[in-house]
Amino acid sequence: MLNEWHMGSLLLQLIYNGLVEGAILALTGLGATLVWGIQRVANFAHGDYMTLGAYVAFLLDVTWSTNPVVAAIGTVVATAALAVGLHFILLRPLRGRGLVALSLITVGLGLVLRNALFLVAGSQPRQYAFNQTAVIDLGFVRVAPAELWTGIAAITAVPAVAAMLAWTPLGKTMRAVADNRDLAEISGIDTDGIGLYVWIVAGALAGLGGAMLALVQGTFDPNLGFNVLFLILTVVVLGGIGNAFGALLGGLVLGVVMEVSTWPPFFGGVPTQYQPVVGFVVLILLLMFRPQGILGRARVL
Amino acid sequence: MTEHALLVDGIVRRFGGVRAVDGASFTVQDGSITGLIGPNGAGKTTVFNIISGFLRADGGAVTFRGRRLDGFPPHRIAQAGLVRTFQAPRILTRMSVLENLMLGGVKQPGERFALACLLGSASRREREVREEAMAVLDLLRLTHLAPAYAGTLSGGQRKLLELGRALMAAPRLLLLDEPLAGVAPALADQLLDHVGTLRKHRGMTILIIEHDMEAVMSICDWVVAMDQGRVIASGTPRQIQTNERVIASYLGTVAAAHV
Amino acid sequence: MDILNPAFWVFVGVVAGIYGLLALALYVQFSMAGLPNFGHVAFMALAAYTMALLVIRADVALVWAGVAGIAAAVALGLLLGIPSVRLRANYLAIATVAGSEMIRYLSTNLNLTGGAVGSVGMLGPTHFATYTNAWQPFIESITAALRHAVGSVATTDFSMFCLVWVTLGLLLMLFRRLERSPWGRVMKAIREDEEAAASLGKHVEAYKLQALVLGGIVGGLAGILWALEIGVFSPDDFQPTLTFYAYLILILGGMNRVWAIPVGAVLFGVLYSGTRFLSFFPLSLVDTGERAYLRLLIVGLVLVLLMAVRPQGMFGKREELLLEK
Ligand SMILES: Nc1ncnc2c1ncn2[C@@H]1O[C@H](COP(=O)(O)OP(=O)(O)O)[C@@H](O)[C@H]1O
Ligand SMILES: [Mg+2]
Repeated sequence: MLNEWHMGSLLLQLIYNGLVEGAILALTGLGATLVWGIQRVANFAHGDYMTLGAYVAFLLDVTWSTNPVVAAIGTVVATAALAVGLHFILLRPLRGRGLVALSLITVGLGLVLRNALFLVAGSQPRQYAFNQTAVIDLGFVRVAPAELWTGIAAITAVPAVAAMLAWTPLGKTMRAVADNRDLAEISGIDTDGIGLYVWIVAGALAGLGGAMLALVQGTFDPNLGFNVLFLILTVVVLGGIGNAFGALLGGLVLGVVMEVSTWPPFFGGVPTQYQPVVGFVVLILLLMFRPQGILGRARVL
Repeated sequence: MTEHALLVDGIVRRFGGVRAVDGASFTVQDGSITGLIGPNGAGKTTVFNIISGFLRADGGAVTFRGRRLDGFPPHRIAQAGLVRTFQAPRILTRMSVLENLMLGGVKQPGERFALACLLGSASRREREVREEAMAVLDLLRLTHLAPAYAGTLSGGQRKLLELGRALMAAPRLLLLDEPLAGVAPALADQLLDHVGTLRKHRGMTILIIEHDMEAVMSICDWVVAMDQGRVIASGTPRQIQTNERVIASYLGTVAAAHV
Repeated sequence: MDILNPAFWVFVGVVAGIYGLLALALYVQFSMAGLPNFGHVAFMALAAYTMALLVIRADVALVWAGVAGIAAAVALGLLLGIPSVRLRANYLAIATVAGSEMIRYLSTNLNLTGGAVGSVGMLGPTHFATYTNAWQPFIESITAALRHAVGSVATTDFSMFCLVWVTLGLLLMLFRRLERSPWGRVMKAIREDEEAAASLGKHVEAYKLQALVLGGIVGGLAGILWALEIGVFSPDDFQPTLTFYAYLILILGGMNRVWAIPVGAVLFGVLYSGTRFLSFFPLSLVDTGERAYLRLLIVGLVLVLLMAVRPQGMFGKREELLLEK
């Protein structure tokens, strides 16, 4: 009886965690899918943009002791600026080189960013100035202050981004171009000029996601984002490449599935270190049965 | 009695809400040159895609020389002797013109891995295929371009190359999707000549989608006219030329184009 | 370390050769058949682990364990390939990444594979597991024979160097021949436009599977040679970056030139190992531990600059790149 109650509340806790992690994957995956669909790059440096965000937040939060909201804004601005800068300096001049060539460039870019961070910031684990031991009881779940902040960020950011995509002209345009670039080009949309906005959105969300991930994990090092890169790419494919809402949904689903898979009544609970494996199994199953992704459309000749 | 080389029976294909092909039926007689005409968006290319196995029909049947073809993958259909070209030519840009043609050659044992390991490019069949390809180049007057990357060819030359490549695949029925579109007039005449020769000398059956009415009327024995996914008329070029529904469907699009 | 030490450069040569094999495996899949595999290192990892496990835990003879390792790599290729050969290239890239990450997570966390410590832990923490007992006498006999021929330069690593490069050389010759055959022509056509190839009666899926199998065999071989060369291995030996080193080797040589692979491999070996010697001022300010990061940073920088400035590599034709769709 007690155990059942315990399992129930554990499940709620896992779902909460899964939604927060899912929100991180959704936000970063959304940026990656827009970039992939519109800029035709599978951005292998996306994880490192996240890491950079986490470190900027660290700089603002710990080194300069600003308040969390200022730190969050500063982070988002910094990573958006980085993404836009690299777009204009590196990726835009090389457009039209083909997906694989451009993606390989981002592999190199990721190596540079990640190892530059190792050199500059060091490999020692960092943590933000949050009380890691305090617990806030929200009634249905008990969370640490850091988790509360990430929860709030998730609850505001995901719907805000979804609304932006659904209703603003920019959002609609980006979805149209990501979904079918050729068609959008024919209908007179400036598919090149939109790159700026795509990278602003992708960079900002990567930074936010990186800081959130660092908070959720407690400590982080320069491998923070790279460690989740493949999960992000998984989200992109889960949602259907270039499908913005698909990525949001795919991220949330993946986050929840990975967390809930550790729930003991679920086949005895998958050990936490195998969570990413669960994600990849989901992906491979999906590719077998619905290769175009959750919301993607099948391609025809 | 003449045989039907191809029998298309009530095929249907929807894209979302659009009925691109809506119960089209027609036949292609053995040894004929049959034209498939109709305004843009009539569903002609979609019909080709279904016949050649690149798209699945939502309904209906395709029979080639007495064999049901629907559900077969494209390569099986090509191997059965039904070879197509594409409306936008799909040449292999980073391969030479000669390689493009040689790829089309049939019955190449060297395409199997084990034999390729043993023989590489040294085999009798490979030499034959090369000769066949050179002959086709000669026919198309592209010999001087044999070693060039196919990607360097002009639009019209690409059309020729694609036609030649299809010929290499020894088709019994050749499906040509707008072979004259974008081809310079002089080249177009040349191409039409080839098509006529192919039927005469190789006994090939040809189904051709073409917008150039003059060309259609001059080389086709039989014409099938489509509009909005359906066959609206079929007959000799002369009958089609004077068919009111055909004229109306074309006039309709012409009028629409002027709005 | 001394930059003039020949033993060091022999080792670099071995590593370059093994990476060259990995690049060749990638070449078959990517340059020949147009299948972008971003998780190629999985073939190496799976073959190495299968071999070591069979030797250590099941006492299988090394030769058969090696064959089984390669078979496992092939099986992985098919497992990932069968659902994805029909997919767009984009999806295959991710499916392969997912496959390789799965193998890395599993090998890091399973007791069976020795966890994070790798092959030495395959019998648990109290035993020191090794799979090279049968290998050592074999390689020593080669060394002895070589010593007759070339004298004292013949070390164990030198034997391995010869073995690896002879293997690579033979495979290069084979693939060169394959590439010029009608089989190679079909592969190239599939890379260019698979629908065009299908319209000419070529069975596209069958060829893609062949490419995946061949890539699995060569990649698996690279994994086994790597395991034998270093004697003990851990999941860290099969980082995802290895796949990208293989791409770098392909690009250094020129994407579509099979005989450029050894050149790319040597350049990469020198670049990668040579950066160990970046000890002059101001780099001498960076301590040794951090120099590893500097090395990776430089590798990344080279990748970016090369792709930006000379994407056709040493031997490729720029013209060919521009024809790409
Ligand atoms: N792959 C596709 N996806 C969606 N709609 C398509 C597709 N192919 C064709 N259509 C639609 O089907 C109709 C017929 O097209 P098509 O067969 O190309 O016509 P035609 O070749 O006669 O000009 C058009 O309305 C076209 O927009
Ligand atoms: Mg058409």
